[in-house]
Formats: sequence, C-alpha cells, structure tokens
Amino acid sequence: MDEVILEIRHLSKSFGTHEVLRDIDFTVSKGDVTAIIGASGSGKSTLLRCINLLERPTSGEILFHGKDVTGKGVNAPEYRSHVGMVFQSFNLFNNMTVLKNCMAGQVKVLKKSKEEARETALRYLQQVGMAPYINAKPRQLSGGQKQRVAIARALAMGPEVLLFDEPTSALDPEMVGEVLSVMRDLAAEGMTMLVVTHEMAFARDVSTQVVYMNQGVICEQGSPAAVLGDPQRQETKDFLARFRKG
Amino acid sequence: MNVFSKLIYDIGRLWGKYWGSYLNGVRNTLILAVVATAIGVVIGLVCGILNTIPCSKNDPLPKRALLKVVRFIVRAYVEIFRGTPMVLQAVFIYYGLPYFSNNTLRFSSVWAAAILVVSINTGAYMAESVRGGIISVDPGQTEGAMAIGMNHFQTMVNVILPQAFRNIIPQIGNNFIINIKDTSVMFIISFTEFFAFHQYITGVNNLYFPSAAIEMVGYLTMTLIASFLLRRVEKWMDGSDNYELVSEDQLVMAAGTYSHPDRGTPFDERSREYDKDRQDARWAQARNESTRGDR
Repeated sequence: MDEVILEIRHLSKSFGTHEVLRDIDFTVSKGDVTAIIGASGSGKSTLLRCINLLERPTSGEILFHGKDVTGKGVNAPEYRSHVGMVFQSFNLFNNMTVLKNCMAGQVKVLKKSKEEARETALRYLQQVGMAPYINAKPRQLSGGQKQRVAIARALAMGPEVLLFDEPTSALDPEMVGEVLSVMRDLAAEGMTMLVVTHEMAFARDVSTQVVYMNQGVICEQGSPAAVLGDPQRQETKDFLARFRKG
Repeated sequence: MNVFSKLIYDIGRLWGKYWGSYLNGVRNTLILAVVATAIGVVIGLVCGILNTIPCSKNDPLPKRALLKVVRFIVRAYVEIFRGTPMVLQAVFIYYGLPYFSNNTLRFSSVWAAAILVVSINTGAYMAESVRGGIISVDPGQTEGAMAIGMNHFQTMVNVILPQAFRNIIPQIGNNFIINIKDTSVMFIISFTEFFAFHQYITGVNNLYFPSAAIEMVGYLTMTLIASFLLRRVEKWMDGSDNYELVSEDQLVMAAGTYSHPDRGTPFDERSREYDKDRQDARWAQARNESTRGDR
C-alpha cells in the first residue's frame, strides 16, 4: 500500500455559530488525485483552506505524515511550504515578474541560491508552457496563463501535496482546457493532488478518489466509477443530474 | 501710474535688493520639507506596520498584550499630532524642552527643532495612509505568500509593502507639498524659511503686497515642480507596459497537447458555449429533441 500523506480526522469548522464543516474524515495517500465535488457553499473550499491552515479548524485533526498540524506549537509556514496551493483567483504577486513569482518562495523560504531557484523556476515554467513569459508582470497575462504560472510557482517549492481550490472557476471557458491539461500531466506524473472542482470530466478521468460534499459533510466518497457512475445517495444523484442537464 | 506697472516695478526693486534672502529662504524651505517628509514617511511606515500586525485568539497572551499596548501608543501619537496645530506643536516642543529641564536642555539648533516637529507631524498623517495602503492590498496576495510558506515578516517585506508603498506614493506627494507650504509656520521658532524672509523684508520697507506676490509665485513654482517630479516617480515605479517574450527552442507548450476524448459528450470540459461548431451541433440536437418531445 502507498504511503499515507494526509489524514483528515473528525475535522469541523465553524464561523461563529454557523457550522461549515462537520466531522470530515478522509485519507490521502501518495499519488492520489482526490476530487472534491459538491454544490457551492457545501464547504469544499473551506475544507481545502483548513488543510493548508489558512483557516484554523475548530476541532479535529489533520495528520501530515502522521503528525497533527493543527496544534499550537506547529510551525504553520514550515508545514505550508510542503503543501502547495493553487487558488481560484491565482494570487500571483503583482509586484513581481513571472520568474520572480516562482523564485520568491524558493529563495526566501527554502533558502536556495538565486541560480538554483532560477533553474527550478524555469524548469516548471517550461512544463506549464509559460517559459516565454518570464519577464511579464501578472497584470499582463490572461487568466489561463496566470493560473499556469501559479501552478509552476507551487511546484517550484517541491510540495508533497498540491491543493487546487477551483482552479478553473475564474477562467474564461476557452482557457479552462489549458489549465486542466497541465493538471492532467501532473496527475500522470504521480503528483499527489486535492482538487476542488466543478469539472466532472476531470474528476471522472483523472482522480483516484472522489469526495462528494453536501452541506458541510461528506455525503459520499469512493472511486470515481462508484461515486460518479453509480451513486448510492439521492443527494449525489440529484447533484450529478444537474450537471448532466447543463 | 498704472497699478500693474507699479507692482512690477516694486517686485523688481525687492528682488534686485533681496533676491539672495528669498533664494536662501527657498533653499531652507525645500531642505526642511524634503528631510521632514522622508523622516515622516519612515515614522509612518513603522506605525502602519505595527498597526497591521495580525493578532488572533490563538496567539499567546504576552504577545497579544504587547500588541495592545503598541497599538494604543501609536493611536495616541496619531490623534495628538493630527489633532493639534503644527504651529503650536513647534512652540510647545521648542520652548517646552528648556522649561521642563530648568534650562539645562535646549535645542542646539533651530534646524533640529523644525525637522523634529515637521517630521512627527508628517508621521502622524502617514501612519494612517500606510495602514490604508497595507489594508488595500488584495488579501489574496497575503494568502498566496502564506501558501508558499512565507511568515508574516517575509510576506510584508517581499509582497505587501512593495505594493502598499506604490499605493501610498500619491499620499507621500500630498504630504510633501503640504510640507513645502506648512513649514512657513516655523517662523514662530525663528526658523528662516521662505516666509520668514518675507517678514524680515517687509519689516524694513512695508512693501507687503509686492513681497507677498513674490512669495506666492515662489511657493507655486516649488509645488508645481514637486508634483511634476512625483508623477515621474510614479511612472517609473509602475515600470514598462511592454515585456519581451523569451524564446527557447526546446519549449514545449504543455497546453493543447492533450487530446480530448470527451469532445461532444456531456463531459466535454472545453467551452461548449464558445465553440462555434459544438454550439451549432448542440442546437441541432436540441431542435431534434424538442421535435421528438412534441410529437
């Protein structure tokens, strides 16, 4: 069996009295591509943000290689440098060029030399097809290009897990394909990924497990064939039916 | 005699006799404004940064208490120096120091006193501008930095402050121009800036209006040059709108190399709406379906 990287145990998150996540349980092993699907407001993004500690879980545990990272003594920045994140709104650093965006974390956080960081950044920018644009500023790029740079920036940190928070939701439809194909390539290379997505085709073809969330709880989870092809719960069926129609 | 020709004659007379004093005043005013604005911006940056240190319930109690105290001090500083006239602050500090120390301490030079007063005044205004500049940077920038493992300090230095600084340059310019004009109140502690020379000169010859006209033109010239230079600085900081593509022959475009097995199925992840062929096909299909349904 593959090595377990992330273990989410009884994770809950409330904003005030509003309970956004309730008793979330699942495991991510090395090489897994986990697709988290569900309607808007079902807590998918909050779950991902909790995993990266951008939100503090109210209760429960997140085990990274068996160690709980939700405790008080945990060095959150250090943990985050092992867990890459790609945002819906890209969040590239506006004050830096494409190349600098991909180098900043390596130089400042991983303390690599500039030459080494530059080499790594170029390699990943090439992989996502953005190497010609190293001198551009984020404001000069299209959405799809920004997101590919954001993926390269996350990869340049050498993360063990990559979290994608609706990476294609803010993109014009014609740019969705270029970002998804980069993600497909990553999955094929064996990258461990957690993807919050509305792209059902991606979930069906690329993922190794699908988690369907409804109103803050995991309603159904399993292989893509099981959850998407033969859903057991009525909520899942209704959700998928809405997609088929659209 | 025509009033205007008389005015020009008087101005000419004043300038001919006192141009050295006027220019000396301009020089002192500019030095004071530049130095005090620069120091004020530094004070403002420090206060603004202290005021935006994140503080959550998870932090240990000593840290939270310390932050509370720091914020209170900064707040008091800002309110006191923003809320009282600078002319009074000058008197208060310049004469207050010897008064409280029984004449053992006093400002060795009026320059030091003037720079101190204008700097802390500018700092009080800049503190709020800097705080605003930091807050106005998209929170996504912080999240992006945190997500690659930067701590608060690294995030501030590398990502937030450069962008916040760009945001507050118009405010720095504002304060600089205000300082060029408002340093004129420093005559109260006998600092010899531009306006102080007006008082000396008119005290001798009573040519109030012609001298005031020289002063008006002088101040306007200084502020116009200042705003022109500030625009140039902003443009320079924004950088070029163009960028060069870097061509390397081994580049492989990752995008577009994937073949799409789902084309045309409900799982097609490409833009059906924007793909003309697909759209036509879909409309055709929809027509067929509705026809089938109706009959």
